[in-house]
Amino acid sequence: MDYLDSEKERRVTQLRKGILELAVMGSLYGEHHYGYSLVRVLTGDGSLSLKEGTVYPILTRLDKEGLVRSEWVESDQGPPRKYYSLTANGRRLFESLMPEFDQLVSLVKQSRNGAKSRQNQPLGERILVKKEERA
Amino acid sequence: MSHYPEVVEKIVQDYLQRLGIQLKGFPNSDQEEALKELGSHIYESYCCESDPEPVDRILKVLRKLGEPADVVAERLQESLLNVGRLKRVPLYVLGGIVVGMFGLPLGFAGVAMLVGGLGAVLGLVAAFFATAALLLITGVAGMGLGLIRMLSPDFWDQLVAQGFIQVHGRIGQFFDLLSPAAQGALLVFFFMAIAAAGLGMLWLSKSMLKGLRFLFDLILDRAKTLFRRRRRHAFAWDAGRFNGTVSEVPAEGK
Repeated sequence: MDYLDSEKERRVTQLRKGILELAVMGSLYGEHHYGYSLVRVLTGDGSLSLKEGTVYPILTRLDKEGLVRSEWVESDQGPPRKYYSLTANGRRLFESLMPEFDQLVSLVKQSRNGAKSRQNQPLGERILVKKEERA
Repeated sequence: MSHYPEVVEKIVQDYLQRLGIQLKGFPNSDQEEALKELGSHIYESYCCESDPEPVDRILKVLRKLGEPADVVAERLQESLLNVGRLKRVPLYVLGGIVVGMFGLPLGFAGVAMLVGGLGAVLGLVAAFFATAALLLITGVAGMGLGLIRMLSPDFWDQLVAQGFIQVHGRIGQFFDLLSPAAQGALLVFFFMAIAAAGLGMLWLSKSMLKGLRFLFDLILDRAKTLFRRRRRHAFAWDAGRFNGTVSEVPAEGK
């Protein structure tokens, strides 16, 4: 059980690594955010647990790659905030990545639904389908 | 100007100080930017937390943000690659590390030992193949002589008379007891065994070469890993040395 938990955790981390960058770009697509507000958007209703510090290296990388732009804005409540927004290049990249992402998600869903519907089939039908597939 | 109660301010400063230590290998501007941004994050997060107890509140905020080492981990990888791309580490830095690690005489001695070891291994391989080839040639030549003794005893006698073939001592006496055909058969079997030994050695050499290849690959792999690790340290050291650090925090033995 411990092994399964650690395996799950490792894979979840791997999954998030790629997707988080896309989620960051998606959040900055329509509006600009400073780090903390972006974290709030990403964690949403609390269903996604996220180490808040992991967002900043992504933002820094995107900034260096010219996919987001950043600027410091004085805040009347406390220290200045660094606002981020997507650049034109960032928008173009995000728009081109989204269909790929949707395709991957639908592929995973499709295979899961396929497996589920096969499980719900009567045994005889399943055997029949398998024979037909082999043929 | 402080935005926190005194005790919270102390906790935040301690966290940022630890973060500063972790960020030591980064360019100065990146360090300042990261500390400023994370400081801002801590404040925003602190304001939004509902816990009435200030210390619990800030601890919760910092827990959510993550340990300084974790916060810096991913950033570090990116930055080291960038530093490597922008500024190739001069050879003297790497040389300095080698000398620093092993000392000058030990460094040279290490290289000499490495070269000597490689030479010895190559010598052994060459000697192995030379022995195998020698056994094979001797075996084939001996079998030829055995066949001559069996099929053409007159020619054999001529060779003995001219001194090309000399069999002395007990072996000679033993050979005199046998017929020419038996002598030839004995020679053929004896030298066949020698040729077989040579062929066996050549066959074994495949495995030996595979083993050596594995050994060299292993050594190379280890050397590459070590070199890569040293290079990363060199990047961090180099960047830290030439760009300075954000805060004058004492280096902790972490």
